[in-house]
Amino acid sequence: MAVEAQIPYQEAMELHDPHSWITKYWFSQDHKVIAIQYGITAIGVGLVALVLSAMMRLQLGFPDQFDFIDPEAYYQFITMHGMIMVIYLLTALLLGGFGNLLVPLMCGARDMVFPYVNMISYHVYFLSVIILLASYFVPGGPTGAGWTLYPPQAILTGTPGVDWGILLMLGSLAVFIVAFTMGGLNYVTTILQARTRGMTLMRMPLSVWGIFMATVLGLLAFPALFVSAIMMILDKTIGTSFFMPAVVSIGDSLDYSGGSPLLFQHLFWFFGHPEVYIVALPAFGIVSDLISTHARKNIFGYRMMVWAIVAIGVLSFIVWAHHMYVSGMHPWFGFFFATTTLIIAVPTAIKVYNWTLTLWRANIHLTVPMLFAIAFVITFVMGGITGLFLGNVIVDVPLSDTYFVVAHFHMVMGVSPILVIFGAIYHWYPKMTGKMLNDTLGHIHFWVTFLGTYIIYYPMHYLGFVGVPRRYFANGEMAIIDESVIMLNQTITIAALIVGVFQIVFIWNLIYSYFKGRDAGPNPWKATSLEWQTPETPPRHGNWAEKLPTVHRWAYDYSVPGMKDDFIPQTEPRTAEETAAGRTE
Amino acid sequence: MTTAIVLLIVVLGSVVFNYLSPWWFTEIASNWGNIDFAVFVTFWICGIAFILVGLFMVWAIWKYRRREGQQAAYEPENKRLEWILTIVTTIGVVGMLAPGLIVWEEYVHVPENAREVEITGQQWSWSYRLPGEDGRLGTVDARLITVDNPFGMDPDDPYGQDDVLVERGALHLLKDQPVKVLLRSKDVLHDFYVPEFRAKMDAVPGMVTYMWFTPTKTGTYEVLCAELCGIGHHTMRGTVVVDEADEYGAWVASRPTWSDYAARPVGDAVAGQAGYVVCAACHGQQGEGLFALNAPKLTGQSAWYMRAQIDAYKRGLRGTHPEDEYGQQMAPMAATLFDAAAVENVIAYIQSLPDEPAPATIAGDVERGADLYRGCAVCHRADGSGSSGTFAPRLAGMSDWYLARQIVLFQQHIRGHDRTDTLARQMTFMSKQLHGQDAINDVVAYINELGRHGRFASNSRVAPDGLAAVTHADAPGAE
Amino acid sequence: MAEATGLRNLQLVNDWADDVAVFRGVPWGKAMMWIFLLSDTFIFTCFLTSYMTVRMTTAEPWPNPSEVFALEAFGVPVPLLLIAIMTFILITSSGTMAMAVNMGYRRKRVPAALLMLVTAVFGAMFVGMQMFEWTKLIVDEGVRPWGNPMGAAQFGSAFFMITGFHGLHVSAGVVYLIIVAVRVWRGRYEEKGYDIIEITGLYWHFVDLVWVFIFAFFYLW
Repeated sequence: MAVEAQIPYQEAMELHDPHSWITKYWFSQDHKVIAIQYGITAIGVGLVALVLSAMMRLQLGFPDQFDFIDPEAYYQFITMHGMIMVIYLLTALLLGGFGNLLVPLMCGARDMVFPYVNMISYHVYFLSVIILLASYFVPGGPTGAGWTLYPPQAILTGTPGVDWGILLMLGSLAVFIVAFTMGGLNYVTTILQARTRGMTLMRMPLSVWGIFMATVLGLLAFPALFVSAIMMILDKTIGTSFFMPAVVSIGDSLDYSGGSPLLFQHLFWFFGHPEVYIVALPAFGIVSDLISTHARKNIFGYRMMVWAIVAIGVLSFIVWAHHMYVSGMHPWFGFFFATTTLIIAVPTAIKVYNWTLTLWRANIHLTVPMLFAIAFVITFVMGGITGLFLGNVIVDVPLSDTYFVVAHFHMVMGVSPILVIFGAIYHWYPKMTGKMLNDTLGHIHFWVTFLGTYIIYYPMHYLGFVGVPRRYFANGEMAIIDESVIMLNQTITIAALIVGVFQIVFIWNLIYSYFKGRDAGPNPWKATSLEWQTPETPPRHGNWAEKLPTVHRWAYDYSVPGMKDDFIPQTEPRTAEETAAGRTE
Repeated sequence: MTTAIVLLIVVLGSVVFNYLSPWWFTEIASNWGNIDFAVFVTFWICGIAFILVGLFMVWAIWKYRRREGQQAAYEPENKRLEWILTIVTTIGVVGMLAPGLIVWEEYVHVPENAREVEITGQQWSWSYRLPGEDGRLGTVDARLITVDNPFGMDPDDPYGQDDVLVERGALHLLKDQPVKVLLRSKDVLHDFYVPEFRAKMDAVPGMVTYMWFTPTKTGTYEVLCAELCGIGHHTMRGTVVVDEADEYGAWVASRPTWSDYAARPVGDAVAGQAGYVVCAACHGQQGEGLFALNAPKLTGQSAWYMRAQIDAYKRGLRGTHPEDEYGQQMAPMAATLFDAAAVENVIAYIQSLPDEPAPATIAGDVERGADLYRGCAVCHRADGSGSSGTFAPRLAGMSDWYLARQIVLFQQHIRGHDRTDTLARQMTFMSKQLHGQDAINDVVAYINELGRHGRFASNSRVAPDGLAAVTHADAPGAE
Repeated sequence: MAEATGLRNLQLVNDWADDVAVFRGVPWGKAMMWIFLLSDTFIFTCFLTSYMTVRMTTAEPWPNPSEVFALEAFGVPVPLLLIAIMTFILITSSGTMAMAVNMGYRRKRVPAALLMLVTAVFGAMFVGMQMFEWTKLIVDEGVRPWGNPMGAAQFGSAFFMITGFHGLHVSAGVVYLIIVAVRVWRGRYEEKGYDIIEITGLYWHFVDLVWVFIFAFFYLW
């Protein structure tokens, strides 16, 4: 199909408009509805994980005070908290939610290329969530193997949920991967093959670039998790020995022999490291757009930003073993993986510079989305530099498996992307509902969340310097800790509870503003990218009018000298002056 | 404006916090000062980057905040600036990486003169093995592990005969002597971690991993497990003592070798009867225990456990705490069993006595007890038979008042007060799961149920060692 | 922006970075199938890498494939006889698939559908022979996923898992071929065009290619 023929084809795309309540809100093929379905499910299950983290913090801050928290329950909390947050909240929300919402709108497409597959994708994801939560209702409860699920421990006595919990977890992950693959194929194909006239790759907003690269990573990284899940299920159920050497478990010699626990770790982290960027890259992209829009200035070094996303994506496949410096793998791997890991710091640092340089000589509107974006940069820098500690192989030796690691990854892939998600919701909510979110509630939510999480995680690094090991149900008497550590743990717990409770403000804001919010109009932030130029707000099924929009410029024409407004939408044709001035973009 | 100020406070506050914080690395006790140096270099390069980026942002947010009539600059890119930043970053990265890799190079190359010591992790304790005179460790195999061969030593390997075995208790190391630590695991992943040594490495079942260090400061250090290994992960502690040459030599000489294990005298029940007379005064003629004299029931208890406890009394791990009055009574009694043969004979005699379930004296909510017991069941097994594999004694059918009292003693660290008593220390952690006397009574009441209805209900004498005789699954009390 | 780069003279870069589509003239379905196959490649790579790893970590001897997979023909054990036939059949099916694609290009729908059905039949034969092989291994030689009399347990584990996963791919391919063939036969794609045959073909060739790797790693190593 030639390109000239393709645009009319896209414009005439078959859409399967809803005919009933069910096809409108439940089995909808509209990417925006699917995005909201993903969003609500992910936030719902994320709240479960938030409650779990509060229980963990209660135990850590005030050990032996709560009857309902025993070691079994505690390890179940950490496992479910970690897995839900990484996979079922962050991955699902950033790609299933924002990927679905933004890709067709920002590329100027009617919808995803295969809306039906897209719809199935959500329902399979929903099934995976059900399977995951079902593990709370089976004998033994959910698995308590830690989100890394390392064998042999994950399938041996001494770990909670060793009968049913681990199988449901692995099954749920496999189902999730199927869901992700169906969605992901859609995002990538849409971005590659179904953009509108004039939307060249180098005119795409960075959000789309981030989502694109993250999806590619997902499609290539999830297979490793899928395969290891299958093998562990076989080890557990029919007694194969892929990951299981000969072991004596609680005094019993088991029938396993000859397997390799390290194989699992390699497979897991071959998935697990790109997974970090599956979460981070969409956040990078989205935050670039937030900063540029609200600073009324083009994103600094757009081309560098794109290449940095691509470089980070590619490099993320050859750094996985930095999670395994003290795993007992061949020590020479340390040289290679430390080097690749620190190389990846360069494009990442460039992104940080470009965000800050975008603020330089800008006209900064400190709206709520902008506050979240700024907070992201600070948090991400903190999380990023502590990553250099852990990536620098020998520095990792004393710090690995301590609270330094916990603090690091919560800063870099917990709080940072969550701040972006909040910012993005404040930013795009008006487009999705036609209403603005309440500003006062937004400010309260922002300050408590940002300062609160900083108070939780910044001092936590110092627990790691002391050497306090992570994943301890209770420290008890420990030679290296004294009263001050106990006090610090209590402070962190209190801060965590406050931050947790204040998320109610956010949820309330979402509900309240939907009914009582100020009308937003089509383009409240005066943004340039395509989604703000839709004929209707919220956009209807099919997004655009009869004809798809035509793009004439990149997404960052803010404060162009000599123009009346401080923004020029992407759909605005170039003026004679611009052409005369030789500006090609 | 406010935003800029708050962000400034966050950035400066982080710096101030760093200087005021009492939390930093423990004082180093090994040769790995270079690791600390690498951390130091990384810390400062990263710290400066954080401060510069943070301050620049604060300044930009303040300087370019929204103002009437202000227009942002239009500057899509600035190649020169981007290149400069890239190069500066690369220099910073190389500045961290180069020293890091040089120290890692040291870390992975064990010096020629290092002595080997093997450390084995299991759920949830550490054991140690040192090569004997020949300087070479014998071969081991997970499949050879039994109650009498806890290390899985190959009995035919001549190199193994003089290996020094430390099943429980502390590992001693010689000051200024590099050690190559060989790590093994019997079951799941563990990680041998002494914060003061900085070095750390996983123990992986099915393979031998290694690391090396030189202890440089005498003293006693706590061993932690740094790789999640199940619900007892936090209780998996150990002790390392760094000695001068004399003390070290004395310690090595005092530890049994594999040939000592193999040559352990076989208990003679007839000879043991005479020795038991002393015990009978309190524990009863039939070993049934006597509440009035605070003596628990002995019959049916596993041999390895009684051996370990007599040893603990003799070495002052038990019966030395000032608040442990009954333990203090036992200590001199244990001393009357002056050699290994005497101990083995008495144990053999006790094992020949009929095993009747001890009478229940404590009542409680059995259902709640069953729920609480799930945490105990991992080591002590679902039927309360105990397991030498986890160093857990039999509970079911034993004196319930004694169990209840011991749980309290563990909770108060009266039992388990000595850091080198790793077994008892583990129970000090686990016992804290039982909040209040009610919980203790409930769980003990449930254990009584196990004694009444489980596999110990009959009079028949069952060797309560899950390992050798009966497997976990076909015990009647097990699910 | 691509124009501004030093790469402007590279036609490829210009094409890729241009608007609407990176791969000009490639239908959505075909692009999506390529990306899916790339993802699937990673699955099989992970399986085969894992197989090689456990084959190296296990301490026990690996069973000799030429003995295990030998088949008696006229009273003489011929190593790898069955596998050779299976491989031949699968490669032949790729040939018929290619002919079907060719017919599709020429819009000859009946021959295209027939050739696809022939391909499906070859695929079904392959699965059938695989079932025969599995039965032989399980019943006659006592190979189980958790152990076997000849040596390392991982032999059976990896063999059943990987050939099983591949067999599922072939079976799914057979179903897919039949569905598409029937639709082609009925003229459903007269208007839209016959890209679908090529897309199906991509999948089929991929499954065939994967088999070559499995064959090499399991039977020849």
